[in-house]
Amino acid sequence: MHWRKLIIATHRDIGYFFAGLTVIYAISGVAVNHIDDWNPSYVIRHDVVEVGVLPFAEPPELGAEVLRRMGITEEPRSVVRMSQQQLKVFLERRTLTVELPGGRVVDEHVRRRYAFFEVNYLHLNHGKGFWTWFADVYAVGLLILACTGIFIITGKKGLGGRGRWFLLAGLAIPLIYLVIVVWL
Amino acid sequence: MKRFLILSCVLFAMAATPVAAGETTSYGGGVTLDQAVEIDTLLSNPNDYVGRKVRVDGVITGVCKKRGCWMQITDPESGDGVRIKVEDGVIVFPYTSMGHEAQAEGIFEAIKLSPEQIEARKHNHEPGEACDKAEPMKDGSGAGCDAPVVDEYVYLVRGTGAVIKG
Repeated sequence: MHWRKLIIATHRDIGYFFAGLTVIYAISGVAVNHIDDWNPSYVIRHDVVEVGVLPFAEPPELGAEVLRRMGITEEPRSVVRMSQQQLKVFLERRTLTVELPGGRVVDEHVRRRYAFFEVNYLHLNHGKGFWTWFADVYAVGLLILACTGIFIITGKKGLGGRGRWFLLAGLAIPLIYLVIVVWL
Repeated sequence: MKRFLILSCVLFAMAATPVAAGETTSYGGGVTLDQAVEIDTLLSNPNDYVGRKVRVDGVITGVCKKRGCWMQITDPESGDGVRIKVEDGVIVFPYTSMGHEAQAEGIFEAIKLSPEQIEARKHNHEPGEACDKAEPMKDGSGAGCDAPVVDEYVYLVRGTGAVIKG
C-alpha cells in the first residue's frame, strides 16, 4: 500500500473511532474552563425554612425533630452537631444546616447537572482505573490524528502551500502566549 | 472490526461497574495508618503533630463544590473538624459524599497567616467558596478560608488518601 493511502486510512478509521469521545471532551473542556463562573457538574439550590425554636436534645433527636417539622420521612445518613449554634442533617443529596436554637434551616439540594456530570466525569478522569488506560489510548489516537492529518492533502492546499502557514500559525499562538505570559 | 468493537464495549462495561451501596471507596493512596488521631487532640496540641503523617476519622461535613479538592472531616462527638486538602485532579472527593463516614490521612500542616490575611478572613466568605486553593491569598481566600484561625495559624491535612464508606 502506498504510504499516503495508509495515512488516509489510519486517519479515517481513528477519526471515526474517537469522534464521539472528542465531542465529549470538547464539551467538558469548555465547561470546566469556566469553573470559576459556574459549577459544571452539580446544580445546588438553597432554600431557607423556619421550623421554630428547637428543644435542647442530643443530635439524633434534634435531627429527627427537624425532619418531622419539615415533613421529611427520609432516614438521615448522619446528624452532626457542628457547634452549640449549628446542627447539620445529611440526607441523600440534601443537607440541612440548622441554626440552634432558633430553628432557621438552610436546605441545600444537590443534583447532578444532566449530561455535564457524565462528560466531566470522563474528561477529568474521576473514575481512574480503566479510564486512565483508555484516555491514554485516546491521547495516542489524537497524536496519530494530528500527525497523519498534516500529510493527507498534497499540492497548494497541503503542507507545501497554505497548510504550512496554518500549521505554523497554530504552533505560534501557544508559543507567543508562553513567551509573553510565562517566560518574559 | 466488529469483534474489536464488541470487546471494547465489554471491557468498558466491566471497568465501569458501579460501587454498591454500603461498600467503601478508596481515594488516592487510601489509608495506611492503623491508628487515627482524635481531631480535638490534633487541634488542641497542633505542635505535636505538625509535619507528621496523621489519620483522622469522622463524618464528611463539607466538600469542595466545584473541584472536589478538599473535604472537611468532623468528629461527630466533639464537633471539631479538620480540612483535608488534596492536589487538584489527583484526588476528587464527590460532593455527594457529604454525611458519609470517612477516614483520611496525610501530612498535618500549619499555615501562618499575615495580619492582612487574618483581617481579610473576617469578611465572611461563603462557606466553601473560594477556599479551595492550597495557599492563603491576599484577599483572605484559599487554604480553607472558612476554617478558624488559631493564633495566626490555620491547620489542615495535606491528604494523600482517604476511604469513604457508603
